[in-house]
Amino acid sequence: MEATFLIIGGGIAGISCAETLSYLEPDQKIILISESSLIKTAVNLQVLTKLLTTFDVQEKETSSLTESHPNIIVVSDRLTQVCNTENTVKTASGQNYSYKYLCICTGAYPKLIPQADMFRNYIVGIRDTDSVETFTKKLQIAKKVVIVGNGGIASEVIHKIRNVEVHWIIKDKHISATFVDPGAAEFFLSSIQEIKKDDPKPCKRMRFKIEDSKKSGAALGPDWYENLEIYGSSKATPRDIKIHYQTEISKIVMSEGNQYPIEVILINDEVIPCDLIISATGVLPATNFELSSDIKLSEDGGILVNEFMQSSVSNIYAAGDVCTANWQLAKHWFQMKLWTQARQMGCFAAKSMAAAFAREEIYQDFCFEMFTHSTKLFGYKVILLGLFNGQTLGTNYEILLRMTKGLEYIKFVLENNRLQGAVLIGDTDLEEMCENLILNQIDLSPFGEDILNPNIDIEDYFD
Amino acid sequence: MVVRKFEEELKYMEKLNPYCWKIKKGFQPNMNVEGVFYVNSTLEKLMLDELKNACRPGMTGGFLPGVKQIANVAALPGIVGKSIGLPDVHSGYGFAIGNMAAFDMNDPNSVVSPGGVGFDINCGVRLLRTNLFENDVAPVKEQLAQSLFDHIPVGVGSKGIIPMNARDLEEALEMGMDWSLREGYVWAEDKEHCEEYGRMLNADPNKVSFRAKKRGLPQLGTLGAGNHYAEIQVVDEIYDKWAACKMGIEEKGQVCVMIHSGSRGFGHQVATDALVQMEKAMSRDKIETNDRQLACARINSQEGQDYLKSMAAAANFAWVNRSSMTFLTRQAFAKQFQTTPDDLDMHVIYDVSHNIAKVEEHVVDGKLKTLLVHRKGSTRAFPPNHPLIPVDYQLTGQPVLIGGTMGTCSYVLTGTEQGMIETYGSTCHGAGRALSRAKSRRNLDYTDVLAKLEEMGISIRVASPKLVMEEAPESYKNVTDVVNTCHSAGISKKCIKLRPIAVIKG
Repeated sequence: MEATFLIIGGGIAGISCAETLSYLEPDQKIILISESSLIKTAVNLQVLTKLLTTFDVQEKETSSLTESHPNIIVVSDRLTQVCNTENTVKTASGQNYSYKYLCICTGAYPKLIPQADMFRNYIVGIRDTDSVETFTKKLQIAKKVVIVGNGGIASEVIHKIRNVEVHWIIKDKHISATFVDPGAAEFFLSSIQEIKKDDPKPCKRMRFKIEDSKKSGAALGPDWYENLEIYGSSKATPRDIKIHYQTEISKIVMSEGNQYPIEVILINDEVIPCDLIISATGVLPATNFELSSDIKLSEDGGILVNEFMQSSVSNIYAAGDVCTANWQLAKHWFQMKLWTQARQMGCFAAKSMAAAFAREEIYQDFCFEMFTHSTKLFGYKVILLGLFNGQTLGTNYEILLRMTKGLEYIKFVLENNRLQGAVLIGDTDLEEMCENLILNQIDLSPFGEDILNPNIDIEDYFD
Repeated sequence: MVVRKFEEELKYMEKLNPYCWKIKKGFQPNMNVEGVFYVNSTLEKLMLDELKNACRPGMTGGFLPGVKQIANVAALPGIVGKSIGLPDVHSGYGFAIGNMAAFDMNDPNSVVSPGGVGFDINCGVRLLRTNLFENDVAPVKEQLAQSLFDHIPVGVGSKGIIPMNARDLEEALEMGMDWSLREGYVWAEDKEHCEEYGRMLNADPNKVSFRAKKRGLPQLGTLGAGNHYAEIQVVDEIYDKWAACKMGIEEKGQVCVMIHSGSRGFGHQVATDALVQMEKAMSRDKIETNDRQLACARINSQEGQDYLKSMAAAANFAWVNRSSMTFLTRQAFAKQFQTTPDDLDMHVIYDVSHNIAKVEEHVVDGKLKTLLVHRKGSTRAFPPNHPLIPVDYQLTGQPVLIGGTMGTCSYVLTGTEQGMIETYGSTCHGAGRALSRAKSRRNLDYTDVLAKLEEMGISIRVASPKLVMEEAPESYKNVTDVVNTCHSAGISKKCIKLRPIAVIKG
């Protein structure tokens, strides 16, 4: 089979890429190869500021994509080899596909703790929908679990988990370190021990049951935990979370004659017997297929791409978790393996490929000028903008803070009195203004602390 | 800022009539002309309370009250007549939002100031009429709202509805609504009902930075965000039946669509780039202002000219944005009612600009002068018989569209001869906010958090509410108060009131 545009991967990056290409080049043939028979699309897109969007991820059958985009063909298969000299790829089922432009969006797989291989039955990595299912099933009979990792997934599991004794192992000094500073962690801490009465919401994600669905699906959506019930078997302890700071697992052993099957030993020699270990320690690029050395990879195996999402082979592009940004980064942007960026990269790779095909000049999309991410942590709306944790600034910056317990946490990161980043937790309505202040680099010294004075309404001051 | 007691400050102000106050020279240093502001009794209290609050010890923060900002503008070089505060005036960067000022083009010292235009250059409002009535639209308003902003490929041209690549953008910046017309998104007669025919001829895309262009292109094919929205409205009241009739508004219940949009990120970058250039020009040309935010350059300097050319490009860009939304609106209505936009009589009633600087002719002290008129959060309102308004409105005066904030009432006014004399043909633009609006009392508490953050070795400042006001008035400037003040003061005349039935956010 052959196509003008060939896209590998049915996750957010791949689908965003296919949809955008279909819009830009409605007359060209687009083939999408997806390992899973379900694909993930971004729905309910809400534009919060010029650069910041939120969306839900919906798992759909592939037919839903091809119905609305007639020039896309979806094939359920797995990539095994890219032959860039012939402009073809090979798949597990032995098929060959030739292309004019190829976009690799194969995502990433969970980086499990090193001991995982020996204790497969007791360690679960959470990454995709299927692993969540395994996890919830195993959890139902557990009384005591260990959670490793300090990112968004670990934080959300902690937020939702009930009826089980939890030991949370983090290597940092504070919780949720991937996203927030120690101050915001403190803001969240109070909500960890209490059980929040969440409003029951209708499940936003449709789950189609498919026989023989392949195990390595695409990653989870931003709302994967929304309606998830993660309950252990110990009703006596509805909420019991112990956080072990600045430590790591040194080894795992099978326990003998204990009520728990395994024992986790920390580097400080503390021993935690438990039923299950949940590993949520980040991901590695999924480049588990044959790739010629013409395509340059980063140290962790990601495909290096330039500012147009183009790899070192000119008609091969990559987007999402599988790629590594290898251009002169804008001051306020950095790569993080997030939904937001998978979608942006997927869409932009499509724009770049369409421009290359039509021999048009385009500019790099402005979304790569500034980091933006919107998520929910411990039940709060969290918006992260620019160098929100002072990334790359060392200790050479200043924090301006406003906080009301249980309501909002606003942190401005200032360098030379100019806004470099912001953390906005709760309903602050400041995102648009912050975005403009970061991009404009206006001198804020005349305003001093008043810029966050709660009695002053500055929403349209900079209009 | 000069700090005096409130009673002392009041000596510099004089109530000229129930709707107008004068700010005398000396209120702020170096005032070249006097200031003036328009209020009714409600708005008057808000203006004076704001000043009173700022006069308390310890309250000299970074934000100046509106009256002080108006007076600082009066101290700019080359200003003629008065620095004018319209009823919706409220604190903004440099100029207050709702402050307009004119500068003599023939005075070599006259300046142009980006703070007098605002960041969202040519932010504005467009009103489309239909021949539908509320009961036609109410049952299907959800569907209309939905299809209006569906990001479906609706383009008739090959290029999509908005400039998507580098070359399209250059053309759109230069051509404004002529680009939209060439691409088939608007009707030729739409241009007639637009200030400047939807195109500023002095626009020069070469004066616009690369970063501004990148920032202006749509993000990944969406139409955009923020204060970019449309409202389906119905006619709620007609005050001037004859003028309304000229606009194609016959009776109550008739459905209109109001489109709010500007140049957004593009304008922000153009303004920011200019502010940086002008700070340099100011030290070179030894221009001094009362407030650093009032960065400016001589109109005839390189920096001044570059800014005016790039501002014009941003203005053109905003008209393209409003035209794209017009196209989507017409498509959505035509699809819903299975007819054509033509048969639905979906003409543009008018399109106004709120944040812009323009060269205009005005009579000052009995002499005709060419002026650079800065209107920030202010609308042009030309009187009947003015040569720059379209032939349909020659007898009524220019339609002035006043959008409330999202979800509140909107108005259509017409320009008056008195407005031409008193306010350089300018009036209000919408609702406004006073500087201080106490939100729900917060219990700010930093103890535990600060301890954690201090370990990072970063210096930390915290926000505090300073003095809590004894009473926290709802100091929002209601659009109806604002419009009634303009009408009573005679600077424009009420024509139609509109009420929203659906809001469509982009």
